[in-house]
Parts: sequence; C-alpha cells; structure tokens
Amino acid sequence: MTATTPRPDAAGSQRTSSLGDDAFAGAPDDPRVQLDRELGVFEPVPPYPPRTEREAEFYTLRDGEMFLNMGPQHPSTHGVLRVVLKLDGEKVVDLDPVLGYLHRGVEKLCENADYHHSIAYLDPLEYVSALFCEWPGVMAFEKLLDVQVPRRAEYIRVLSAELNRIASHSLFLGWMALDLGGLTPILWSFIERDTIVEMLASLTGQRMLFNYFRIGGVNGDLNHEFMSRLGDWMSHATEQIEAGNTLLNENEIFVRRMRGLGRIDSKTALRMTMSGPNLRATGVPFDMRRAHPYSIYPELDFDIPMRQEGDCLARYLLRMDEIKQSLRIIDQCLHQMPDGPVMAKLPRLLRPRPGRAYAGIEAPRGQYAVYAISDGTDQPFRMRIHDPSFLHLESVGLMMPGHLVADTMAIMASLDPIMGGVDK
Amino acid sequence: MTVVSRGWNRLTLPGKFLFILVPLLVVGIAALIILITAFGQLAIDTLAANLPIVRFVVAATVILLITVPTAFLIIYMEMKIIALMNLRIGPDRVGPFGSLLSVVHGLKVLMKEDFTPTGADSVVFTWAPVVVYLASVMTLLVIPFAPGLYGADLNIGLLYFFAVSGLAVVGLLMAGWSSYNKYSLLGGLRAAAQIVSYEIPLTLSVVGLLLLAGTMSLNQIVENQQGWFTDWYIFQQPLGALIFFIAATAEANRTPFDLTEADSEIVAGFATEYSGMRFGFFFFAEYVNVFIVSALFVTLFLGGWNAPFAFPEAWQVQLSLDPASFNIGLLFIIGLAPVVLTLLFAAPFWLLSSRIKWWQALLIGFVLANLFIVTLALAWAYIGLNWVAGILWFMLKTYVLVFTFVWMRGTLPRVRIDQLMGFAWKWLLPASLLNLFVTAAAIVVIGR
Repeated sequence: MTATTPRPDAAGSQRTSSLGDDAFAGAPDDPRVQLDRELGVFEPVPPYPPRTEREAEFYTLRDGEMFLNMGPQHPSTHGVLRVVLKLDGEKVVDLDPVLGYLHRGVEKLCENADYHHSIAYLDPLEYVSALFCEWPGVMAFEKLLDVQVPRRAEYIRVLSAELNRIASHSLFLGWMALDLGGLTPILWSFIERDTIVEMLASLTGQRMLFNYFRIGGVNGDLNHEFMSRLGDWMSHATEQIEAGNTLLNENEIFVRRMRGLGRIDSKTALRMTMSGPNLRATGVPFDMRRAHPYSIYPELDFDIPMRQEGDCLARYLLRMDEIKQSLRIIDQCLHQMPDGPVMAKLPRLLRPRPGRAYAGIEAPRGQYAVYAISDGTDQPFRMRIHDPSFLHLESVGLMMPGHLVADTMAIMASLDPIMGGVDK
Repeated sequence: MTVVSRGWNRLTLPGKFLFILVPLLVVGIAALIILITAFGQLAIDTLAANLPIVRFVVAATVILLITVPTAFLIIYMEMKIIALMNLRIGPDRVGPFGSLLSVVHGLKVLMKEDFTPTGADSVVFTWAPVVVYLASVMTLLVIPFAPGLYGADLNIGLLYFFAVSGLAVVGLLMAGWSSYNKYSLLGGLRAAAQIVSYEIPLTLSVVGLLLLAGTMSLNQIVENQQGWFTDWYIFQQPLGALIFFIAATAEANRTPFDLTEADSEIVAGFATEYSGMRFGFFFFAEYVNVFIVSALFVTLFLGGWNAPFAFPEAWQVQLSLDPASFNIGLLFIIGLAPVVLTLLFAAPFWLLSSRIKWWQALLIGFVLANLFIVTLALAWAYIGLNWVAGILWFMLKTYVLVFTFVWMRGTLPRVRIDQLMGFAWKWLLPASLLNLFVTAAAIVVIGR
C-alpha cells in the first residue's frame, strides 16, 4: 500500500526544483516570484524592481520610516482601495494608492453590448448614486441619435436624480462620522437614505441599481406609491436632516478634527481637475448644472453653494448645503411637472449615424461624463467614462503628507470617493 | 464473563453511566467521611489560624468570578443602549430582550480557533492578554462594595489601585509588539503614550481629595462621606471629579479616547491579530475596566455604598426578625404562605373579570405572589442587613456611570492622538495642579 501511493510532498518538491532552473526566473514581471515569499508575512513593497523613478523613490525607506499597508481589506477604505503609507512615527510622509481591485472593464463591456444594454452596465459604477451614472450615458446616446426627450421625462429625471443626490450626500455624512469614530450618525443617515431608496424603488423597481433612465425618456411614469412616499417624506425632510446634522455640526471634537484638515487651494484643485463639491469648497463656483446647462436645469431656481476654506469641514458643510438646494429643486419639479409622454418614439434597434458625442452632468461627487463614438452599428464603437472619484483620489497625495494616520481616513472620507467608479 | 458482558450490553447509555458512577460516588463519599473525621478538625484549625489568607483566597476567587457576569452585563448594556440611540432594535433574539446574547458571544469566542500568526513572538503573544486581564481584575480587590464587603482594606488602597491598573499598559505593549503587525504596533504605542500621559492627571486629580480625606484607604474614604449626599466629595472637589472622569475615560480606552483600538484607523489596534479566547480576554478586560473605573469614581466622589440620604436615627425602621422565634410555626408559614398568597392574589382576577378562566387567574396569582415575596425579602434584607443596602446603592451609582460611558460612546467621535496628548499635558495637568493648590490653600485658610 505504501509503495504505490506517491508521497504527499513529492509534487511540492518538484515544483520548488523547477523554479530554480527556469528561463524566466528573475524576470521583473514573473508572477512566480511571489511563491518564494514566506507565508504570512506581507510586505507592501512590490515583488519586482521599480519601474519608474517615482516608484524607486517611494519604495526606499529613510531612517525611522516604515510602510503601512492600508487595505484592500480595511474597515474604512470605502471599498477595496489599497494605500501604501510611508510613515514616520504616526505622521504620513508619502503615500501610494494602489488601484484596480474592483476593475470590471465596464467601458469594454459597453462596447460589446448594444445601446440599451450599455445603460445597465453603467449603474454599478457609483453604486450609491446610480441614477447619475445612467444619466450621462443616456444623454450621450441621445445626442448620437438626435432624439428629443419629452419634457415630462426630463422633469422626472431631475426629480429622481435630485432625490438620489440627497441619498448619496446623507450617506456621505454617516461615513464621514464613522471614519472619525462616531457610531450613531451612520445609522441616522441610513434612515434618510432608506426612505429615499424605498421611494425610488417604488418608482424604478430597484433599491440600489435603478436602471430607470432609457434612451429617449424614462422607464415608466410617476406612480401613486412613489408620490405618496415622496409627500410623506417631504413634509419632514428638512427637520430630519437638520436633526441629523446637529449631532455633528455642533460637536467640538468633530469640528476640531475637520477644520484645516486636508486643505487644498482653488488653483491646485483646478490643476488636479477636481470638480463638484470638492472644487466648490475651495471657492470655485463651478457646477455643471449652471456652467454647461443640460436637461431642464436652466428653468429651475436654485443656488450653487460655495465655501472658501477648501478643508474637510468645508467639504462636509458644502454637501449639507447642497441637500437643501436639492430639496428646493424637488419642490419646483413637483410644482412645474408638465403632462405628456415619458418616452420618445424610437425604433427598437438603435443604429445611430457614425459620430461622437460627449455628455457631462453634475453628479453628487462632481462632473460625471460619458464620451461615446458610434460607427453606425448597434453597439457603441468606443465608450469612455469620466468618473470624478478617480480624479479626486489623485489629489489625495497632495493632501495627506504631513497629517497623521488617523487623518488619512478623514481626508479620504471627505473627498467621498466610490471605488466602484474609480476602478470602473 | 459472557454473562456480565451480555448484561452490560443490555444497559442503555445512561444506565452504563450510572453503573460506573454510582459505585464511584459511594466509594468517594465513604472516603470523604473518613478523611473529614480524621483530619477535619486539623483542617479547620489551620484555616482558622490563617484567616487573613483564607479571606484573601476567597475574595480573589469571588472577584475573578464576578468579572464574567459583570462583563456580560455591560456588553449587553452597550449593545442595547447604543442600539436604542442609533434608532435600532438591538439584540432581541436570545433570551428575554436579547439579554443572553453576550453569553452567546462569550461561548462563541471560546469556540473560535486560537490563532498565532507567523512571525509572532508566541510566548509574549500568549501572555499579553493575561497581563491585561489580571491588571484590571486585581484592582477590584480594594474596592469596597458594601460595609464589610471588600477584598482587602489596604491603607494604601488608592495607590495600589493606580499601580496595578497602570500595569495594563505593559500587557498592551506586549500585545502590540509581539503580534508582528504594524497596526498592532501602532496600537500598542498609542496605548503606551495615552495611558502613561493620562496616569498623571488621574493621580493628581485625587490628591486634593486625599488632603481632605487624610487617608488612602478606600474604605475610610467612603466612611468619611457618610451622611446626606451633600457630604460626598464631588461637591468639595468638582474640578477634581471632572478631571478624574476624563482621565479615567482615557485610562479605560473608551470613546472619545479609544485610540488604541480605533477601528476606522488601525483596524483593531493591539488586538488585530488576536482571536478566540485571547481576544476574549482583551474584550473582557475592556468592559471590566469600565466597571472598575465607574466603581472607583463612585467610591471616591459619589459616596461609595452610602445612601444619598441619612434620616435621623429615630425615623429609621428597626427590624429585628429572628426566624427561630417562630419555632414550629415557621414550617406552617413556609408551607401555607405561598398557597394563601396565590389564592389571595388570584381572587380579584377571577371574581372581577368574567373573561379570565380560573387557571389563568391562578397563574397570575402565582406570579404576583412570587413577586410579592421577593419584594418582601428584598425589603427585609435592605432594612435588616447593612451590606445589602450598601451593595444596592453602590451598584446603582456604578451602573449610572457605566451608562454614561456607553452614552458617550454612542454620541462622540474619536479625538486625534495629538489632540489627545495636548489635552492631557496642556489642560488636564495644569487644571489638576490648580485643583491641588486651591484645595491645599483652602485647608490652610479654613483649617478644615
């Protein structure tokens, strides 16, 4: 019996011996290099020689410094972001974000699906504000097809999207507090978000990835359940949001930690192509809804909240102001809602003329855009997605050095990146 | 032989157990009787001669055993209270209102794999939770729970408390260093910096109180505060009490000073690599610490086991109930009282409501009678036994403070390490020195 069965370690010894006399051994991208590592000891330094000067400089430690590998599994990296921090004591000297743990190739998937299917692929990018992911895609395709969207459909789009913006911003409030160690605000803001999300579910059929916008309109008119839920919520929304905010706004510990943290000036912010609330918090009143008007926003009356400080507290307060403006917009939409169809007349199979189209909107995190090229077939020839989270994450390298480990998470949270959109 | 084995096979499983156990029990009891008759008197004499040691061993055992239900209770309190503050329901599945969930947590922690990571210094790694746990448990030894109910009445009780609770930082450093994990290391270093810094205002804040009390024995300090609640030291040392509370929060690693285990920054701090019961020890130590810190605050500033009121002697109910004086009547009372009381309490429900059936009325009567008897017994114990009243007041005050800690955890975010250290050295330390000087000057001027 013992003679016939191979020893369990035979295969293992063979493998280790084959590693040595291998033609590719020692090659910079040899994946098997990682097998040589001791089990259970993870060094954040990549297993290949540095590819760029920056990488070489970052991965050499000076006296008294150490690497701290934060993520991809970490309680507060908002998804699967990995940040290699170079620390001096607890002070962050330098950092290297490592992306791509959530990469799904959405842009390529869209090129292999027809125009209607592409919209469904866009939803899970920024999963907390899914309607804003659909919108630029739909708008770009409409431009390609030269479709006129019915006015009622535009109103419904704005109404549902602004609701989604409030949901996203109130979730931001909770995350912000949770990353600073507060346990309660996240659950209070989830109440807000859940109310809105249930409301949108009765309109769209889904709680999270709504898939509601269609090329040429929306999927279904307003219904009674949605309207009654919306009316219930609108009657106490302002009070409820105010109550949630006072827990943080008047908290000395919270304000002291946030003020002056992760400051960025308007010039740098523009150079880093920041947009949305993060840019407006530095004093640049740039909002796609006013700068490059789309849909029915020119007809609506609302302000662009702005702050000058450019720190975490400003970014937080700005988002809270935006919630109030969104409530104003919703109110106006409900009062001015016209009658009519919610879907343009379109053929079932869409074949736009060859051409290219760009559509950008103001998402809760900034300028969200889609650039699509059509070659005359029923699938987009190329499709590129501009995601604000990705660009905001780039500027993290400018904000964090000099702050403490505890602040890295606060800065990250104040920029409000969604890794689904960053990695696409 | 075959007969015996056949008989054995016919036995059921409990039968087989009994077949072995009963003879063993008989032999054991016989041996015990012989041992007691031979050496019983000797053993009693030895114990009586070494009463302090016996007392110490008993106290240590009891205190070690107390910590488990205490931790369970505080964990449950924290889960439930924070849930209510978060507008959640919280635990509600295991036991009434989910009250057994923390017991389930304890069992779960026991059953999990005890894991030592590669590269860890396994000896230090193993002993770190023990040091942390024992450091917090040993401090319970000097806390007076009630008149006569304490582990040891040391004349340097307060000093002992600070010295032993300060040892916990060694355990935290051991855990942080030996885990071979940078998060643990950061947590351990934070713990060292934080606890060593806050030890100073913590100790200085009570020096003013010591000047007033003139003793370091916790028992004596409690006895000094007898009388109405205005005699409590918190009214003579409000600043000291405030500093003590803040510093004690930091000592117990509670929000907003829970930097050592800041889950959103350094995963779980020093406990990152721990699992199973070793993590359980850290977890237990944290909650026992909350209890201990509250208990010490109550002892020092809130009058310990004293009731907040002291009525004149003449008003007090004198109750001398000697059960032996009833003679054989006692048996009748024990036998009859439950039945009579049950019927008495059941009668109105049966008579006044036509919807309640007789057995339902009896059931209600039984429950009410039991409640009545328990209330009577408690009232008798409260009036008749000094230590029952003491422990009731002590626990009430302590758990109000524990609630405050839980409340803070539900409300406040965490401070940053530099803010934490700055607060200790720039504000708390000067404030506690000021408190000390003002107290000393007042004693000199007023002459006590």
